Amino acid sequence: MTEAIGLTVSDLHAWYGDSKALHGMNFEVRRGEIVTLLGRNGAGKTSTLRAIMGLIRKQTGAIHFGSQNISGRLPEAIAKYGIAYCPEERGIFASLTVAENLVLPPILGKGGMTLHEIYGLFPNLLDRRASPGTRLSGGEQQMLAIARILRTGATLLLLDEPTEGLAPLIVKQIGAVLRSLKDRGLTVLLVEQNFRFASRIADRHYVVENGRVIDTLAAADVADGTDRIEKYLKV
Amino acid sequence: MTATPAQDNIVVARGLTKRFFDFAAVSEVDLTVRRHSIHALIGPNGAGKTTTFNLLTKFLPLTSGNILYNGDDITLESPARLARRGIVRSFQISAIFPLMSAAENVRIALQRPSGISFRFWSSKRHLHRFDGRVDELLDAVGLLEYRDRTAAGLSYGRRRALELATTLALEPELMLLDEPTSGLGHEDVDRITSLIRKISTNRTILMVEHNLSVVAKLADTITVLARGKVLAEGSYAQVSGDPRVIEAYIGGVDD
Amino acid sequence: MMELIGISPALLFGQLLIGLINGVFYAMMSLGVAIIFGMLRIGNFVHGAQYMLGAFGTWFLLQLPLLFPGLGLPSLGYWWALAIVPLGVAVVGAAMEWLFIRRVYDLDHAYGLLLTVGLAMLIEGLFNVRFGAAGQQYGVPESLQGGMRLGFMFLPYYRLWVIVAGLVICFGTWRVIERTRLGSYLRAATENPDLVRTFGINVPRMLMLTYAFGVGLAGLAGVMAAPIYQVSPQMGQSIIVTIFAVVVIGGMGSIFGAIVSGLMLGLIEGLTKVFYPQASTTVIFIIMATVLLLRPNGLFGKETVAHHVADFSTVRTGSLLENGRFWLAAIAIGGMIFPFFFYPLLGMKILCLALFACAYNLLFGYVGLLAFGHAAFFGASAYVTAHCAAVWGFAPEAALLSGVAVATAVGALFGWLAIRRQGLYFAMITLALAQIAYFYAVQAPWTHSEDGIQGVPRGKLLGLIDLDVSINMYFFVLCVFLFGFGLIYRIVHSPFGQVLKSIRENEQRAISLGYSTNQFKQVAFTISAALAGLAGGLKALVFQIASLADLFFTTSADALLMTLIGGVGTLLGPVVGAVIVVLIQKELATLGSWVVVVQGAAFVLCVLFLRKGVVGTLEDYLGAREERRRLASLARITEKTPKHDDSSRNS
Repeated sequence: MTEAIGLTVSDLHAWYGDSKALHGMNFEVRRGEIVTLLGRNGAGKTSTLRAIMGLIRKQTGAIHFGSQNISGRLPEAIAKYGIAYCPEERGIFASLTVAENLVLPPILGKGGMTLHEIYGLFPNLLDRRASPGTRLSGGEQQMLAIARILRTGATLLLLDEPTEGLAPLIVKQIGAVLRSLKDRGLTVLLVEQNFRFASRIADRHYVVENGRVIDTLAAADVADGTDRIEKYLKV
Repeated sequence: MTATPAQDNIVVARGLTKRFFDFAAVSEVDLTVRRHSIHALIGPNGAGKTTTFNLLTKFLPLTSGNILYNGDDITLESPARLARRGIVRSFQISAIFPLMSAAENVRIALQRPSGISFRFWSSKRHLHRFDGRVDELLDAVGLLEYRDRTAAGLSYGRRRALELATTLALEPELMLLDEPTSGLGHEDVDRITSLIRKISTNRTILMVEHNLSVVAKLADTITVLARGKVLAEGSYAQVSGDPRVIEAYIGGVDD
Repeated sequence: MMELIGISPALLFGQLLIGLINGVFYAMMSLGVAIIFGMLRIGNFVHGAQYMLGAFGTWFLLQLPLLFPGLGLPSLGYWWALAIVPLGVAVVGAAMEWLFIRRVYDLDHAYGLLLTVGLAMLIEGLFNVRFGAAGQQYGVPESLQGGMRLGFMFLPYYRLWVIVAGLVICFGTWRVIERTRLGSYLRAATENPDLVRTFGINVPRMLMLTYAFGVGLAGLAGVMAAPIYQVSPQMGQSIIVTIFAVVVIGGMGSIFGAIVSGLMLGLIEGLTKVFYPQASTTVIFIIMATVLLLRPNGLFGKETVAHHVADFSTVRTGSLLENGRFWLAAIAIGGMIFPFFFYPLLGMKILCLALFACAYNLLFGYVGLLAFGHAAFFGASAYVTAHCAAVWGFAPEAALLSGVAVATAVGALFGWLAIRRQGLYFAMITLALAQIAYFYAVQAPWTHSEDGIQGVPRGKLLGLIDLDVSINMYFFVLCVFLFGFGLIYRIVHSPFGQVLKSIRENEQRAISLGYSTNQFKQVAFTISAALAGLAGGLKALVFQIASLADLFFTTSADALLMTLIGGVGTLLGPVVGAVIVVLIQKELATLGSWVVVVQGAAFVLCVLFLRKGVVGTLEDYLGAREERRRLASLARITEKTPKHDDSSRNS
């Protein structure tokens, strides 16, 4: 494994009980890249992130992060490798305040953002820091969910549909946040259905259907490839 | 589909709303389902499709709104009562009785309208009267050779077919199918799709579906939900060309 | 003014003080149970035994030089105990979690309860063996002796210490959980354990520490209780059911609810003792029943308990083990031969208990409802049958039918109250309702409390057959058993039985098919109660006595144990289980309390390793062997034919 390779997924199959979700995923994410997994509902994008994070017990195949094979490890162990997960439902704890939610994930490595830096990136969270988790708007919850894992020192962020259900202005803000994270040297694997958003920030895209990768597109080729990709996603 | 008279709307739901504390999962959704049509409910993740389903089948209580079925107000009825009226649903995670055989699974559905279910003193022999119909139904979904196999031992695709057979056994007026093709491989998806088409004659079907090629093949009417609200409604051609729908699926125009 | 009501202020405040002290203990113990349930979803029935360990630990430290003479050990007093014992008990708790309890997290909640019931029996049994039932004294520590005069009452310092320390501990714990980082981890992990794991937090270890903490609270309560209550092996058993009732009232996940309910109910109990003493033992349970009718989640509870599927063996069609006709005949024949080799009384005991277990299995095995209060029906019928025969001179068949009638009525009522809830709540309600029956019997005049109803005449069956002749009684019991066994077989294999099966396997699906499942559960509950009553009435006639033990929850635990050992949800299981348990009791009778220890161990081992029981495991083994043979012969066939058929590829 060269140092440039961050995450490599090879022939990943996964099952929820008897129902097979992934039919052999193959892709890679290099250090410092933003890569998206695109696809319609039910394609297997979320399952891929969950499998990487160790939340799907029944899986075969290899997942390499740096030089380590992390496939089949427990979630708490995978976190210690510097991988952080932001689920689709955001997982803001209702019984905790914004500030408590923010500091909940322990710091596992060096290089994470300080609270000061985080509030700088998300000023609206500073205002709402004493509110209980449930009282946030969708956009604020998404901000919090991302902010939460920035403290930990994680170098690979797995984000599941961060723009889902959000107003266009908030979507723009999130795009800006992701770009600045990339500038800091973080690696991001993004699951998205919103191709317009993804095409403006990601380095590469993989299209997922029925649990496997069926197409790929680099940022440079986006202009030519847009129609092709949109066909996969369209109604 | 030939045009049907306007009063033949089997389900008219108005203002369906479900709130969990501050969060509105479903907000002021109006849904009208025409008799004998196949009506699909689609939308991106988190749109509120399954919640709407659960509201319609009373597996979740409504925060507000009302539901008319064949003109009767069913807003306050229990799920079992609804099923007895002829509204039968399937579940996203295949709902079968795992330790019973395929035949017994279908038979328990056939038993329910028979009125003999409380007879704890009478012999199981009385259930043999359903055998013919059990075999008919299993054959219709292609499971006849598995009739005596334990349901849990069947493949996932076959279990979904069994679930369909069980739902059919009750001869529902309205079938609600919750993601009938989820978790299935290509072959099984095709099989289930043609099954659904086969059973849709003289029946109304409302289904939640992610697989848009299935929706394209089957649905007469499509309602698109996004963020808990109805976004658009119409035929597949109308809906797939609607810019708001495209935006919901592909993403907004950013600057 | 008080004198006008006829109650002296001294009495009132005295009882209120006792009530408050009890309330503090209830609060401390319920807090532990609520934390353990909230985090681990385990109904920690062994909490009482862990409390007892705390009290005994305190006593041990004081007795060190006497227990281990010659080692020069000092006698460690109260304050040492306060520092050391709760930690020690917590360590024991951590060991229990690591060895036993974590193995049942993924199973149906029933198994968590069963496991802890078994552990409670084990621990309490062992202490009973070592120390006997008598209590040990533990004096109030010198520094806290004496008290102060408060006008109309005398307040002992130790009591004051208990109240203050208890309240501080309760509200302190609540504060830690609500306010600190550790507390936020706990709360977050309760909401979304998977996500918390992705933060790198070792949730399994956290669970172990949480359990240990809850147990430590029980130990601490034990230390504080030692100078007030007698230190005896039973002290946990007598409090545990009340604690569960308190937790249910407060709301099973709510820590605040547990504390507040504990305190409140202690005070209410105290007040009841002043104004209406006969109700003081049952008032908490009556309140529980009322609260659950009005607020199903308890006063402060928010959530409902999730529902897994229990471990049942896959019954093969045509399995000999399930062939009711065959076994009906086999047991009949075996029953007829039995008295030639063994004492009829032993046979009658086995048959009565087997019938009881079969009745219980109908509900637990075939419907999947873990009830924990069948002693109420067994005992109610025993008492009514005994009373009718002994006091009113009924003929045996009339007495028995009267007993069954009453058991059925009680069953219908208890069922109606309990069915509205699921899982652990359901078990707790049935347990608490049965306790009401027990405490009623303790006080009612016609039950003669500790003595029970003795000298019950067996009379003449139908006026003709003298049941005092042992062999006659034996055959009567055999016939009644065969009737009950046959009836259960018929019920299971009726259209009704099919619906019960569907409810057990997937209740939501059954509802979506149009079955009003609560009605079916209610009927099954009532039938189960009626047959349990039949067993109880029979037992009263056989042994010619009805006693309080028939109504105590250990009898319910016996039904559970027999069913579990034999095989839940199988036809023969309860019978096999009854035989095994009776034989254990017989062989160990000379060893006194060891019986309880062995039964406790049997519970634990069954839950961990033999969940399907003897018959269930046998059924699985035979089924697997049959499947291997079927596949082998299929392989032989397909070897010969070149084309592949669908079934061999896709299944």
